[in-house]
Amino acid sequence: MGDDGLGIHVVRMLKKKIPARDDLEFKELSVGGLKLVEEILGYEKVFIIDSVDTEHRQVGRIREFSPEQFKATEQLSPSPHVLNFATALELYKRLNPSEIPRTIRIFTIDIDPDFTFREKLSPTIQEAAANLVEIITQRIEQLQD
Amino acid sequence: MKTVTINPVTRLEGHGKISIFLNDEGNVENAYFQVPELRGFEKFCEGRRVEEMPDITSRICGVCPEAHHLASTKALDAVFHVDPPPTAKKLRELLYSAFFVADHTTHFYILAGPDFVMGPSAPRAERNMLGVISKVGLDVGASVIKHRSDALDVVGIIGGKRIHPACGVPGGVTKAITEEERTRIEKIAESEVEFAKFTLKLFDEVVLQNKEYVSLILGETYASKTYYMGTVDEENRVNFYDGKIRVVDPEGKEFAKYHPKDYQQYIAEHVEPWTYLKYPYLKSIGWKGFVGGKDSGVYKATPLSRLNAADGMATPLAQEEYKKMYETLGGKPVHATLATHWARLVELLYAAERMLELSGDKEITNPNVRTLPTATPDEGVGCVEAPRGTLTHHYKTDERGLVRNVNLIVGTTNNHAAISMSIKQAAKGLIKNGDVSDGILNMVEMAFRAYDPCYGCATHTLPGQMPLDIKIYNKQRNVTHHLRRP
Repeated sequence: MGDDGLGIHVVRMLKKKIPARDDLEFKELSVGGLKLVEEILGYEKVFIIDSVDTEHRQVGRIREFSPEQFKATEQLSPSPHVLNFATALELYKRLNPSEIPRTIRIFTIDIDPDFTFREKLSPTIQEAAANLVEIITQRIEQLQD
Repeated sequence: MKTVTINPVTRLEGHGKISIFLNDEGNVENAYFQVPELRGFEKFCEGRRVEEMPDITSRICGVCPEAHHLASTKALDAVFHVDPPPTAKKLRELLYSAFFVADHTTHFYILAGPDFVMGPSAPRAERNMLGVISKVGLDVGASVIKHRSDALDVVGIIGGKRIHPACGVPGGVTKAITEEERTRIEKIAESEVEFAKFTLKLFDEVVLQNKEYVSLILGETYASKTYYMGTVDEENRVNFYDGKIRVVDPEGKEFAKYHPKDYQQYIAEHVEPWTYLKYPYLKSIGWKGFVGGKDSGVYKATPLSRLNAADGMATPLAQEEYKKMYETLGGKPVHATLATHWARLVELLYAAERMLELSGDKEITNPNVRTLPTATPDEGVGCVEAPRGTLTHHYKTDERGLVRNVNLIVGTTNNHAAISMSIKQAAKGLIKNGDVSDGILNMVEMAFRAYDPCYGCATHTLPGQMPLDIKIYNKQRNVTHHLRRP
């Protein structure tokens, strides 16, 4: 929905840009926590793309994280309803370490969340998404090397 | 007056805020639960083709898309006046039973388990899923993950995708299953039944054998007498996929039993100006505020409510556990909010048994899985029991099938008033003389957590977690304490 759907837009742009390869797979997901971790198990390298809202947002800013940078977000207390990504990843590292991808990188773009229903990205985020596509394309090419 | 604010934010499931107001003595005067977000699905679906609704509304939630997908698909059956073939109904129910197994497993072991396995006042660093794994062992942890994942595989086999299944169409499902797939599902179901039995045994050992926990469950702090709602079959037994809605009063007597399409005759929704989420209540009794009892229209629709509203379970092992639960807790209905965890496990066993029954059904591989609709679409209601409560989708269309009006009453919404009341009651019983320790706050949260509340949200916060902000104000509303946990 609007800029919140950034990840799906970027994946679709990447699909168009990068020729199909047997060793490359794109997934569109609207899940988090356990279900997200379960979707990346068994892969060697994984790039996760998502929009984020932060306390000090700079709309359109691209950032790259490692899972270790989310370590501080591990849930010490149980949530009423969900397990977040960092905690779910740690859980699987303990239970099923051989299935955890060797490389996990998380690419994000800061958005200003609003609740206006749109199927397209705002101009600012569209531009940032195009830049992110370039970055990820290069990273995928480097992986090939 | 002092104010304690618990401000939980989760990435996936939205934003809820708990405010607890203390008086000069540091005791609880009032408590409010707010949902300060608006998602607007009911509005932005207007003008869409109604056949798109099962796919659109399943995006309301990443945790329970199956519930929305099937309630929506059933609403489409009604909109198009089409009755799916028996095999299609069974496949839908089989998918749904598998989903219940995955969902209830997750809640018990990962969300509720830490409170009991580690103890409600255990240090925060231990009171989590990782602590549970350390205590019960990696093998149990691996079994939890395996059985959850296997159940979602069944969702994938029938629904086409493990996440956000896409099999529901008006008049049936998109594809039949093969004998090979059936055999695999049956094998998974056999293991799920054993796992559910193990889980109930674990609950017995960890919780029921602990007098302190039993006392906590049955204590007044977590008791809440209201009406109870759930879907029942023709023999008034619990059913997740189809049946009539039955409501019993706080004494357990049948108050109403109706077809889901008639829900507006029985349920109305109260609005408060300080929260976006509505408060459904029993129309004929009326909204009397945040109070329980027979004279208040407040009701609950939770796993415990479903068991309270039914006369039993439709599968043999779950029925035994149902009887045991009520015998142990002093008969029906049970008002103890924390007993919801036990009820959830009885339902887990029922869902696993139902998976096994349906996967062995001689009709389940029948290729006739759709009746093509031919009638002009107009209006329809679809209803299922979501893990968190009765879920209703109601659509009105024009003659071309374009959506004109949508009304959704989701599981958690049914419980909105009851959640607020439970929080207040727990806070009143636990916060005394201004003592707001971490352990006490966790015990207040336990009242909230028992409902497995789900507030869908459209945005992502970078922490991706549930930070807890506690602000204590003096009578002039100046902050005297500010505690925050990551």
